[in-house]
Amino acid sequence: MIASVARRIAQAAAIVFLVATATFVLLQLAPGDPFSPQEESSRVPPSVIEQHRRNFGLDQPIHVQYWRYLSNLVRGDFGYSFSLNRPALDVIREVIPNTLILALAALVVDFSIGIAIGTVQGARPHSRVDDTLTVVTVILFSIPVFWFGLMLIMVFAGQLHWLPAGGAVSPAAYSALPFFGKIADRLTHLILPAITLGLISAAGTARYHRGAMLDTITQDFIRTARAKGLSERAVMLRHALRHAILPAVTLFGLSLPVLLSGAVLVEAVFGWNGMGRLSVDSIFRRDYHVVTGAAILAAVMVVAGNLLADILYRVVDPRTRVEGAS
Amino acid sequence: MRTNSKACITLTLALPFVLPACAPEQDCTDVCGTMITLTTAGVDAIVPAFTGSSNGYAIGDQMFLKLAEIGPDLEPIGDAGFIPELAERWSFEDPRTIVFYLDPRAAWHDAVPVTAEDVVFTFDVYRDTLVNAVPRDNLEPIASVTARDDHTVVFTFEEEYTAQFYDATHHMRILPAHLLDTVPRAELRSHPFTRAPIGNGPYRFASWTTGESVELVADPEFFLGTPGIGRLIWQIVGDLQAAVERMLAGDADFLDFLGTPENAERVRAAPNLEVATFPASFYYYIAFNFDDPDRPGQPHPLFSDPVVRRAITMAVDREAINAAVFGEYGEVPPGPISRGLWIWDDERSPLPYDTTEAKRLLASRGWEDRDGDGVLDSDAGAMQFELTSRSSSSSSRAAAVILQEQLRRVGIEVTFTDLEFLTWQTRGQAGRFDATFGAWIQDPDPSGLLQTWASSGGSNWGGYRNPRFDELIAQAIAAREREVARDLWDRAMETIQNDAPAIWMMTLQQAAAVSSRFENVAIRPDQWSAYLWTWRVRRGEMIERDMIGAR
Repeated sequence: MIASVARRIAQAAAIVFLVATATFVLLQLAPGDPFSPQEESSRVPPSVIEQHRRNFGLDQPIHVQYWRYLSNLVRGDFGYSFSLNRPALDVIREVIPNTLILALAALVVDFSIGIAIGTVQGARPHSRVDDTLTVVTVILFSIPVFWFGLMLIMVFAGQLHWLPAGGAVSPAAYSALPFFGKIADRLTHLILPAITLGLISAAGTARYHRGAMLDTITQDFIRTARAKGLSERAVMLRHALRHAILPAVTLFGLSLPVLLSGAVLVEAVFGWNGMGRLSVDSIFRRDYHVVTGAAILAAVMVVAGNLLADILYRVVDPRTRVEGAS
Repeated sequence: MRTNSKACITLTLALPFVLPACAPEQDCTDVCGTMITLTTAGVDAIVPAFTGSSNGYAIGDQMFLKLAEIGPDLEPIGDAGFIPELAERWSFEDPRTIVFYLDPRAAWHDAVPVTAEDVVFTFDVYRDTLVNAVPRDNLEPIASVTARDDHTVVFTFEEEYTAQFYDATHHMRILPAHLLDTVPRAELRSHPFTRAPIGNGPYRFASWTTGESVELVADPEFFLGTPGIGRLIWQIVGDLQAAVERMLAGDADFLDFLGTPENAERVRAAPNLEVATFPASFYYYIAFNFDDPDRPGQPHPLFSDPVVRRAITMAVDREAINAAVFGEYGEVPPGPISRGLWIWDDERSPLPYDTTEAKRLLASRGWEDRDGDGVLDSDAGAMQFELTSRSSSSSSRAAAVILQEQLRRVGIEVTFTDLEFLTWQTRGQAGRFDATFGAWIQDPDPSGLLQTWASSGGSNWGGYRNPRFDELIAQAIAAREREVARDLWDRAMETIQNDAPAIWMMTLQQAAAVSSRFENVAIRPDQWSAYLWTWRVRRGEMIERDMIGAR
């Protein structure tokens, strides 16, 4: 057990190190640097840009810069955001709560709706309900997330005025709200981005889960359950669903890091200040240390997601616990 | 004001369906109104000395004043038209010495008076290479800045020239010496002051959430008058189309660029919004590379010939492109200048669209379709080139596609390559392109043309070289009288237009969306927010968010 844990930790450290190195090197190889003008303005003369490079050590060879970055990193210093003039860790830390809130809300939408649809389809394969839901999920899965988000904004914010069109909070009112008002405000702002991100992912989850259900309902233990006289509802919910949900658990563990770092389009449409948008903006600005820091965090999340999937697997599948115990 | 607004807003946000029941029934008596500005670009810094971005200046200029502000006609010549800010008056002691007399009412937001020491300190900071402020080089002609007494400061110049006063006032926003003079210069950019600054302008800093929003509140003690709007909030939206939707939904009050004529039409049709237009301070161009990108040091096989460059320019129907991309808002510039620049001349016409003449000029240089494939040929080969652009500009992309078709019709084959912004910029700086589609933002002083089109210019990517043009620009910058300078700029424009180092594609009347409940909306072309502190919400047209924090 101890050896297994130690091996996992060593693997995790190696992954994080490789991700940090690859990100740092690839960014340095990309054209431009953090002080290249971001606007086509003649305001920033080349002499000022050169001076910035000297001031921040970017005129040094790449291996010197990388060694300095690594030395700082092992001391917990994630470097400096050149574009925001702040420690990179402060910049990343600021967006993590928003990212977690959106990712968790989207996961809830994704798996609750995806598994519900997949279960209904798997329970009645090739029925009219199954065919209809197949069409719906394929359409949902094919819709560009960017367009879907804009449509939701147009309908629910632009036409109906039911929900805010973007942002994580109401910029004008938030600071004046009482505690519960703030929570309500955050929730109303969360609904559209969470639905946009979660619903499109749910279409994929539903397809996976339908397949798992179809595999399950042909197995002997389902036939046995039916032979024992259990109702179809009990067979599906107590026996088939419990077995078919195992692939979804793996999917859940892998979805977490994807949602954390891959929600960039949703974050752009809704002006949601999260990791995805920060990472992409920082890549475009060549903000080396913020990008590398965000990549390290994403690597940690991948490792954690896999670990979470393993743990959940053991919780929902007693067979793995028995094997583990032996 | 009535005090039920907070409860109403809480309820409104929790239960959006009750919104109509919470219509404001109040008005405020003093400073009120909230303006939410959407921006698709991030905010790098909010102290102007440490920013180089348009957003940084738009926000920072509400908190930090200059000695004097350029007038609405944007003429940087002499001091005529300049509006007093921290300096209540000034005088030229001799042609190389300007004395500024500070307004004794001017104070920092911590109630400390603004003094001549602050101005001396600011000049020192702006010139320091450790701080490396963007306008550092613009201040080079200033030999010294000294305090004569607490409220008198003396600027001495190396030599006399027309834009002396502009250089003394336009670039520097005064910083508080009493708060910053002990901070090591190398640490100034990341000092906590830059995250929560104390300024001297009409607005005080309230909050800044990186990547999300910046909030400023009106300073009722502002010495030049009471700001018209109580709170200014900049909210960052990652995408222009999403920003337009939010404007239409009534979530925000101002968006300075609408992008397409379709967006402008939608805004115009919205009952709560208006379209405000103003001359843009940027222009689009397609620069020709004078050197062969594949054979360093060798002239470009097509673009080293001025006749070919002129012919290609004349083969492009720029008016049609402007109409397609910007609708009624676009126009063809007569050179490398934007509509908002003071040297713009309505009398000067761009090279005409004339495909017959273009073909004749090309034929005169040996370019004819010899093999009947629709593409012109000469001994040097087929007439084809690559046009690069940056993917961040949908306007350039749209224009490039139309241009590609127009040139195909006269036998010129153009391949179009869209590049990520910094990749495009790096290739441009290295001269690795045939022709490139770009845009330049311009300051009110046209001397920026030195950097973009003069032989020695660091941003003259195509390598255009004409000593006559360089000389005319240098003379225009050094001219001591407005009319002389104007004439020299005109001649410089004529020279560069004849040389056709680029196709001057588009400039525009920029269309912005603004909530119709605002009045006194004045926009200065180079900086839309220059008069923002005088905007106000019409009495009787307040909405919920206007009443938050009102007095």
